[in-house]
Amino acid sequence: MKIELSIKPREKPFIPIEAESITPASFLEKMTEDITVWSGNREKKLTEIFDVKKSGNADSQKDVEIILNGDCSAVKRVGEYMKDGKISIMGNIGMHCGNFMSGGLIEINGDSDSWLGREMTGGEIICKGNTGDYCGSGYRGEKTGIKGGKITIMKDAGDYLGESMAGGEIIVNGSSGNMPGSEMQKGTITIYKDAVLPCPNMRGGICYVLGEAKEILPTFKQTGSIYNSDHKRELNIYEGDYANRSHKGKLFAGKTNKK
Amino acid sequence: MSELLIKNAYVIDPINDIKGEIMDIAIKDRMIADSVSDSAEVIDAKGCLTLPGGVDSHTHICGTKVNFGRYMSPEDMRAGRGRAQPHMYPVSGYSVPTVYANTYRYSALGYTTVLEGAMAPLEARHTHEEFFCTSLQDTMANTLFDGNWSVMEAVSDKDLKRVAAVVGWTLAAVKGFAVKVTNPGGTEMWGWGKDVGCIHQKIDHFGITPAEIIEYLIRANELLNLPHSVHLHCNNLGKPGNYKCTLETMQRTPNLNDKRQTLYMTHVQFHSYGGTKWGDFCSKADDIAWMLNRKPQIAIDMGQVMFGKTTTMTADGPMEFNLYRLYNNKWSNHDVELETGSGIIPVFYSRKNLVNSVMWSIGLELALMTKNPWQCMLATDNPNGAPFVKYPEIIALLMSSRYRDEEFAKIHPDTGKRVHLPSLDREMDFYEIAVMTRAAQAKALGITDIGKGHLGEGAYGDVAIYPIKNNDIDPSRDYSKIIEGFSLTDYTIKSGRVISRHGNCLLNGNNRTIWVKPKISEEYNMSNDPEFVKKFERYYSVSMENYPVEEEYMNKRNICIETETGL
Amino acid sequence: MIKKNVICSFCGCLCDDLSITIEDGKITGVDNGCALANAKFLGKERLLKPVIREGDSIKETEYNTAIEKAADILKDAERPLFFGWSGTQGEAQAKGVHLCMLLGGVIDNTSSLCHGPSILAIQEVGHPGCTLGQVKNRADLIIYWGCNPLEGHPRHMSRYTTYADGFFLKNAFRERKLIVVDVRKTMSSDVADEFIQIEPGGDYAVLSALRAIVRGEEKIIPESVSGVSKSQLKRVADMCKEARFGALFFGLGLTMSKNKYKNIRNAVELTDELSRHTKFTISAMRGHWNVYGANEVFTWMTGYPYAIDFARGIPFYNPGETTAAEILYRKECDALMVVSSDPAAHMPKKCVEHMADIPVIQIDPHKNCTSFFTDVQIPVAITGIEASGTAYRMDGVPLRTKKIIDADFLTDTEVISRIYERILEAKADV
Ligand code: SF4
Ligand SMILES: [Zn+2]
Repeated sequence: MKIELSIKPREKPFIPIEAESITPASFLEKMTEDITVWSGNREKKLTEIFDVKKSGNADSQKDVEIILNGDCSAVKRVGEYMKDGKISIMGNIGMHCGNFMSGGLIEINGDSDSWLGREMTGGEIICKGNTGDYCGSGYRGEKTGIKGGKITIMKDAGDYLGESMAGGEIIVNGSSGNMPGSEMQKGTITIYKDAVLPCPNMRGGICYVLGEAKEILPTFKQTGSIYNSDHKRELNIYEGDYANRSHKGKLFAGKTNKK
Repeated sequence: MSELLIKNAYVIDPINDIKGEIMDIAIKDRMIADSVSDSAEVIDAKGCLTLPGGVDSHTHICGTKVNFGRYMSPEDMRAGRGRAQPHMYPVSGYSVPTVYANTYRYSALGYTTVLEGAMAPLEARHTHEEFFCTSLQDTMANTLFDGNWSVMEAVSDKDLKRVAAVVGWTLAAVKGFAVKVTNPGGTEMWGWGKDVGCIHQKIDHFGITPAEIIEYLIRANELLNLPHSVHLHCNNLGKPGNYKCTLETMQRTPNLNDKRQTLYMTHVQFHSYGGTKWGDFCSKADDIAWMLNRKPQIAIDMGQVMFGKTTTMTADGPMEFNLYRLYNNKWSNHDVELETGSGIIPVFYSRKNLVNSVMWSIGLELALMTKNPWQCMLATDNPNGAPFVKYPEIIALLMSSRYRDEEFAKIHPDTGKRVHLPSLDREMDFYEIAVMTRAAQAKALGITDIGKGHLGEGAYGDVAIYPIKNNDIDPSRDYSKIIEGFSLTDYTIKSGRVISRHGNCLLNGNNRTIWVKPKISEEYNMSNDPEFVKKFERYYSVSMENYPVEEEYMNKRNICIETETGL
Repeated sequence: MIKKNVICSFCGCLCDDLSITIEDGKITGVDNGCALANAKFLGKERLLKPVIREGDSIKETEYNTAIEKAADILKDAERPLFFGWSGTQGEAQAKGVHLCMLLGGVIDNTSSLCHGPSILAIQEVGHPGCTLGQVKNRADLIIYWGCNPLEGHPRHMSRYTTYADGFFLKNAFRERKLIVVDVRKTMSSDVADEFIQIEPGGDYAVLSALRAIVRGEEKIIPESVSGVSKSQLKRVADMCKEARFGALFFGLGLTMSKNKYKNIRNAVELTDELSRHTKFTISAMRGHWNVYGANEVFTWMTGYPYAIDFARGIPFYNPGETTAAEILYRKECDALMVVSSDPAAHMPKKCVEHMADIPVIQIDPHKNCTSFFTDVQIPVAITGIEASGTAYRMDGVPLRTKKIIDADFLTDTEVISRIYERILEAKADV
């Protein structure tokens, strides 16, 4: 089954749309007319906000593909709790895309806003543009971020990438902003270009910064260096964060600048 | 004048010695009446279990520490969200829910009266502000005196009347209900990052012991003729081997009051631990219950632990710090100058954890081994042992040994060697449950005289009707029906008004705050005591004039209990 | 007439020992207050009547008309935003929450522009704190980090710390040590026993280094961290461990500089670590007199201290998304109500531009930058002077501010209640 959603022009285009109903599961289980989204404090029919074209059939979520056309940067929560199937976003997407996702694939051709893949446990997100802050993070006050799955960003990521990460994998082909991998416990983050203040207070997990790691904390201990054949680069190895009681994290960094 | 007639009710009203009779209940103008006119609104109870409104004699739902638990826990908030209903505000939270969630959920369980377990006098306005929103239950506040400097100085001078004068002045000033003592002396020591190890350890600077503080406060409490007894959270909470400290505290308790207990000991589960460390940790509920069975002057509540996520919060600052070092989760602490302390940490009680499994057993053992249900109340020290929404499960555990066995099979396999629970086959009946969830509480709190906790003529029209039919149910087998039935009343009625039907609540139940004002002669009025005033102005960070809680913080129909004192 | 023990409703210290002289119903003198208090109590400028915008002109009007207009703006808004609250009574804050619940809006208080990051940190690691009197009576070590109390909270040091009497200190002033940490010298650093000057943006690294040193991991610390020498860090760590009671106060220099809430988290975790050695507490220097009250009231009513979105009827909290500045920046809201604050003066230009595009209601006794954008401004009685009401001190101690003179203004609570009632009526009519 293929569902093509094209966002319609709106009178107040900046009012956010909350669309956790855009998942393969809803289209499989519900009639399109029964699917609703929220625009500010109003519940609206999906069809009021989007032109919907549905074709083909599906027996399981796996066979459902959703395509989002147009600028969806004010559309939040797309693919929340997604278990299987595919969502292809042709332009930009708003906050909280792929939150709590446990399976399936979300492909974003444009940029994604903050909290991409928050608290995901499985599945895959590929964003061909940039992503905002808190990509692959947790929720306020919660002890863990993502526990599984894979997020790939083709360009740059914002601040607090993979905060409290507890499993899974995040790859950023460009640079990350401030404090990637803060409070990290498990999992792997790879940043192909630069990062600022990587892995503060990390307790476990692995983070690669293949470009320049700016302001590595004084509480990281350099234990040596290796030639990494995967990335064809000489990398310094750090252990930390020694500010913390448990400090089994590993940070591999190319050029570094220790504060 | 509003009138209500509940017909066909299967009533258990322990205070009036009604042990299960089909009868009608008439309520006229908020109070239980002998009869009502033909124009009264009628509710057909259809033979369902009908009890006086529930009374919780120890819970944490309002005030500085509770609110800080909410403030620091957005992850708990999102675990219990609900939309607004026609007569209800939206709610959040599971273990430390918002005021509205608390009041709605309590009323869905049939509770109409609750006692906030710990209010620091300096922060009393906060508790009262939240009481305002807890509008479906009448409220009372335990007032903390464990580290009160003026009390400790008077104890050190062996001046009982002065202890009573300070307590009386403070209770009236902050509109508190009862004397709460949390880890006496320990909270003062925590001001230096220390604790007291036993009731005979001297407290820095003041040179007195926890035992003396307890003894003097018990006597001062009786001198002030307060409705409730001293309400004690013993020293050494949560430490292996603490049962000795608890036993000795019990042993030392005099019998000074013939209407109620002389000492109320709270969440005793947390104080009934044997062993010397977590490795040999075990239940000493048998010894504690043995002592309790010999000491009618003591009443306790269970402090039952139930498995799952919750938040611990207590005035016992040092204990919370110990827990923090154990769990390494987030930790908040809040010492209150010249008075007390507090701490908060989130916890998860796991069935797979041996210590947690033993704790779970101990609470049940205490209830089952206490012969007289009037001496042991059902409570979890909400939310410390579990959120109060777990009460129905605890009721079922007490009523069904089969349910206990099934649960026991799911907990840590080594638990059996450390507890007594599998050997206990007592199954409580509805009467005993009614005692343990309302009647004993009302009696212990001393509020039966003002018409709480029973259905006698002149009492407040507080009634809970549960969808449970005595004849159709064998609690031992149908424990899941017990849980269901006690989780959601058909009707909860407070002061003659239906405030909740199947969990659909009213916005406002016009609750009342019950507080005490001991009548004290000018000679003992602390406001006139130059030494007290001088110290107050010098060491508190607020002036004495701005300390007492103003009338504006009282709900319209608040109940002030004035007592005749020996001062 | 002189009124004693008056509570100052200006900063988070909520000093409650002011003496106010009143002659002919007017305040003519202030004793005990600092310069900020004097300015507040003796201030004369205020808006006298409600005003509404009609086209390009601003017209005076009556309360009823202004309230009607405010209700009109709000009742059909798809995403109304309610912002401010730090300068009003708790009773009004509570009414504001109910109004927001009724309308499915977003409610945020000024914490999101000041100590919001501190709250986020506390939600991660908790908050070992205490009341100010506990510090005054016991602390022999005071640290001010990223704040300049002598200017921002002028009586903090004299009432609660350095210059205050302390029960357990014989000569409090001499026995107490004072450490000031900042990126520049200030009036407060001039009186410190130890001044730690950090390069801008370097607080996080210094806090991490201190944590490691306190844990005995000083070997790995380099000779200098963010411009602070290792020897000074070691000296300071020792001072902390040797103190009988240490109290750390932090301000916007720590919360609003680079790394924001992670700085506070690190400071809290340093306090946790020090608590294993001695007594240590940490506290935020809250700015506005009742900003902490706004956090408290919001929390017990909604579960969250600020930035709460009721669009879905269920409270949702996510600072960075549901905070006022972000909502204005992304042009999400279609109406704004500002209570006792001045967002136009404190938010980025893009946020202010959106204020010009949407209807704005302001409830405030004074004109300020935000007034340029308002469609309706409703003046109210000044809490703590013309009206009484509840306020929470920076340490959580609740106090009742007093009405000391009469004035012909409605209170914030009354105005908001009337807007609420008006909207209920309008909804019932539909
Ligand atoms: S320090 Fe703050 S509260 Fe105290 S008088 Fe000055 S402005 Fe008022
Ligand atoms: Zn308790």
